[in-house]
Order: sequence, then structure tokens, then C-alpha cells
Amino acid sequence: MIIHTASEGMTLARKLENDSAAFYETLAKKYATDAESYLTFTRENKKNIAQIDRAYYGVITDALEGGYAFNLETDKYTIQTAISAKAKYADVLKQAAAMEARIIAYYTEAAEQSRALMADVPQTFLLVVKKRKTRQEKLQELLEKA
Amino acid sequence: MAFLEEPIKKVKTIKNYIGGEWVESKGEIVDVVNPANGKTIAKVPVSTKEEIDSAVAAAQEAFPDWRRTTPLARSRLLFRLKELLEENFEEISRIQTQEHGKTIDESRGETRRGIENVEVACGVPTLMQGYFSEDIASGIDEWVIPTPLGVFGVIGPFNFPFMIPLWSVPYAIATGNCVVVKPSSEVPNSQNRLAELAEEAGFPPGVWNVVHGGRAVVNAMLDHPGIAGITFVGSTPVGRDVIYKRCGETGKRVIAQCGAKNFMTIMPDCDINRTVAAMMTSFFGNAGQRCLAAANAIVVGDDDAFYRSFMDKVLEQASKIKVGYGLDESIQMGPVRDKEKKANIMKYINAGVKEGAKLVLDGRKPKIIGDYPDTCFVGPTVFENVTPGMKIGAEEIFGPVMSVMRAKNLKEAIEMSNANPYGNGHSIFTQNGKSARDFQYNVVSGNVGINIGIVAPVALFPFSGMKDSFFGVLHTQGKEAIRFFTESKVVIQRWF
Repeated sequence: MIIHTASEGMTLARKLENDSAAFYETLAKKYATDAESYLTFTRENKKNIAQIDRAYYGVITDALEGGYAFNLETDKYTIQTAISAKAKYADVLKQAAAMEARIIAYYTEAAEQSRALMADVPQTFLLVVKKRKTRQEKLQELLEKA
Repeated sequence: MAFLEEPIKKVKTIKNYIGGEWVESKGEIVDVVNPANGKTIAKVPVSTKEEIDSAVAAAQEAFPDWRRTTPLARSRLLFRLKELLEENFEEISRIQTQEHGKTIDESRGETRRGIENVEVACGVPTLMQGYFSEDIASGIDEWVIPTPLGVFGVIGPFNFPFMIPLWSVPYAIATGNCVVVKPSSEVPNSQNRLAELAEEAGFPPGVWNVVHGGRAVVNAMLDHPGIAGITFVGSTPVGRDVIYKRCGETGKRVIAQCGAKNFMTIMPDCDINRTVAAMMTSFFGNAGQRCLAAANAIVVGDDDAFYRSFMDKVLEQASKIKVGYGLDESIQMGPVRDKEKKANIMKYINAGVKEGAKLVLDGRKPKIIGDYPDTCFVGPTVFENVTPGMKIGAEEIFGPVMSVMRAKNLKEAIEMSNANPYGNGHSIFTQNGKSARDFQYNVVSGNVGINIGIVAPVALFPFSGMKDSFFGVLHTQGKEAIRFFTESKVVIQRWF
């Protein structure tokens, strides 16, 4: 499905944040030794939603091209959050890394597409990308440890 | 994608808000219909002259104490209102979509613009300061005090049910006046919700009144000796021949913001992709029911290849616009407000065909996303080969219709724009500074855009308009609104 409107773009961002937060909450319960890292990710996701909402609701005006902000194929950004019962810890961490890559791809593309149309929104998306890249490094550390 | 929940779930009869009380009207009751699905969402009264009299009396009674309330205290109430508007942002926005039909992004945009006016009016302690000269003659000082006038009437249109009354109300009350708001009876819910929040914010009874109704209410406001001034947004015939004229006759201040026929001048050096994105919102946003909506596109120059590539892009984008109920997040264009407005738009489209314009995108039978009756939907419509003399090129359609014309050069494009009786919001799309400067200097338009599709001034600036688009002197919003809602009292002082 292709999304065009600013409202759809924000809804997808919120969904990615909420779904990935739920995924990390599950990880925190399952892998107690690294729970703090996962719970930090979850808290960060909630902050991301607040920041994105603040940017969107703060700059959305009827004079901006909100109905034409994006041209994004949502299938490219579906994330795998179900954890297989048979999966080893290293596999789960790889799954998390793949998920982060997709989320980063979404924010990067959405920021690029909406740069001229949505004022502060792309800037916020890129801040989230930066935070998620740091998260990727942390996941890599955990993977090396696992 | 998500379909958002409707905020109005039960059909209620809307009450007037007079003197801090929610009062049932004795007038006739009419249905408020959601234009997307045809369902009745509320019932609104056509209030009587007596009810307007009662609201004005309540406002007059509240005025002396409200005037004595310090600007800082008045500002604090506005800050409280702003917080309540932020807390209820989403609900307010969805009400607009439900009663008007605009998309949810457009409604949120309207909400934000409305709140911005409250924010600017919060600055009233400094905005309302007078000025002082010491020793205009030896030992004599002189100063000016901006003083409120009393009661103002605010008459809102159907196309921006929440925002447009907020171009006036926050400034009127911030400066110590009281208001009687008459929302459009087609979309009364937004202003009633706003009045509920004003009540919650703690404005004293009588400062902020809302009376619903139609022509009788407007006439009663215009004739009422207790009303010091009127702000009005609506059509040119009503604004010029009724509001402006009658305010002149009854000695009222007036701001009458009226109709438009906005021209977009497309230079061959423009950034086509960005220009077309701006065009889509400008021509088809709010289903073309904006006084700043683009109506005519003038493509400049004899470069046929440029013209074709521009038009191809326009048609590619316009034909993909998703039409449906604005609470479906994927929708890019909602219905027009009612079937009468749709019929009027159809009349213009048919006239365009008859006059020989080339209908290259026909919105008369739009593909509607979702299972909705096609009562009020009009799809994006594009005409080529339009001339300024055709009805579709000259008159305000107030619907999603783009009329494309060509001009030899920028000078001719500006002449074509200026020849039209309206002067509300004209824009140029170019990468050339000189063209942009020539355009803004020579075009006769209250709001001028350079690479901007909808030239809507933010609350800090006046919402301007020229020629048949505006009647009055000062404008709504910002410093001009503060001037409009205050009278200059000049004091000259000498002590023996």
C-alpha cells in the first residue's frame, strides 16, 4: 500500500515505534541479563512518539501540502516482531537489527520526501534515525557478547 | 490505513451560549448533515432577534468589568484557553472533518492556525500599549490610550468552522471587548466546542457569547445599536452589499473579508515537481473551498514542451487524488459542504464545456473511496484553453476546479490577474528573483505568494485582501486586529 498524507506518515511512525517497543519489552522479559538495555529502547520509543507528534501537530497547517507529503510503499517497512520459540538469542538479536534497519529506512526516506513540505517533521525523523543508529551499535555489542 | 473515530456520536440540539448559560433557542431547528456520509450529526437553531438582543445585552453587562480586568489577567485566561485547545486538539480537528468534510490533515492544520491566533492575542499586555510624548509644548504631555469599544459581532463562514472566528475573537476579548459569535449554521459544532472550552478556561459570563442562526441573526446584529463593530468572512455580494453597507449606515466598524479568484503564475523556470505539489493543495485542498484556493493557473511563455511537461505532471497528480471521507487518513480530498454547493460547481463545469474550454480531467463523477453516497463529492477537475473572459476563468467557483490559461510573458500574466475584480491571494512559481520581485510589486492582491500555493498569513500578520475581496480598512489577525478592536483615546495634560 502506498501512503501519501502526513497523517498516514505519522500513524506509520507511531506504529513502528509501538510495535518495536512491544518487541523489546518481550526481550526484556525473556533475557533478564540485558533487560535494562531493552527497557531503555522502549522508553526511547515512547519519547520518539512524543517528539514526532510534537513536530507534526506543531507545524501542520492548512497551508502546507499535508495531503501530498509522502509517496511511500508501506510493505517495505513492515517489521517482524513475533519471536520464534525455537530462536536462539543471537537470532533474536539479528532480528532486532533487521527491524531497526527497516525503521531507519522508513524515517530516512520519509524525511527526504517531506523535506520541502512538512517543515520541522523531517528534522525530527532524522533525529530518530540518529538515535536508532546508536541503538544498532548497542545491538551489535549485545550480539558479540551473546 | 486508519479510519479515525467520529467525535460526535449522538445527535443533539445545539444551544446558544448567552451570558455564561447554555440556552435553548425558541427558533426553528434545522439538521446539520455530515457531507461525506449524509448522516445528521446535530440540530441547530435558527435563533430569533430576541435571542440576539439577549446576547448583546449580556455582553454589554459584562463589558464594564471585563474592560477593568487587567490586560495581564485577560491574557492569562487566553493562555488557559490555549492549553485547553492543545489538550483537545484532536477532538476539535475531527469535529471539523465530521461537520465540514475536509481531510483530517486539513482540519488539524485549521486547528493549529486557530490556536496561533490565541497565542498572538496572549501578547496583549504589550500589543495594546499606547505611546507618550513628553513636552509637546513646554510643560504639556500627550499620550494615546487604546481603549476597547464594547461589543463586537463575529460572523463566521462554513469553510473554516473553527479557525476563522479566531481571527477576531481572541483579539477582541484580549483588548477588553465582549463578543457575540454567529457561526455558520452549516457547521456550528466547532464553535460550540470552542465556547465550552472558553467557559472551562474561566471567561466571565457575557464576555464570549455564541448565537446560532442565519440571515435573521445577521440582520439583528447589523441593526443592533449595542454592537460597535462586525467582522465577517463570506461571499462578496453579502460582504459588500449587506455587511459593509449596513455597517456604514449604522456607524459600525467593519472588516468584511470576501470572495476570490486566485491566480497562480507559472514561470518556465519553476521547479515543476514542487510547484505541482503546491498546486494540488492549493487547487484541490479543502475541496477548493478556500478564499485562498487557487482557481486559475497561468502558464507563462511559448515553450510548448514546458507547458506539456507541466500539464502532464498536473494531470498525473490530480488524477491520483484520493477522494472520500476525511476521517480516513488516506483521503486527500473530502466532499464539498453540501449538495447545493456541488450543484453550483457542476453548473460552472458545464458552463466551461459549453464555452469551449477543454475539460482534461472531469470530476463530475468522482471515484469515491469507501461506501458513501456521491451527494457532495466532486473530483479534481482541470480545464485547459481557458480565457479570462469565460465564466470559469472569471467567477468564483469555490470548488476543486483548475482553469489553465497561457500568457506570452510575465507582464501579460500580471495584467490578466489584475483585470479580475478580486484580489485575494495570487502567487508566482519561479526560480528567478527578478520575476518574483516584479510580480509582488505589480500584482494587485492582498496576499502574495512566491513559490507558495496557499498564501495564508500566519496570525502575526494581517489577513489581507484587495478589490472585491475585502471591504474595510484594518484586517483580522495580529496588530491590525488589535487596532480594529480599540479606539485611540488621546490625552493632553497640563498641571498648573
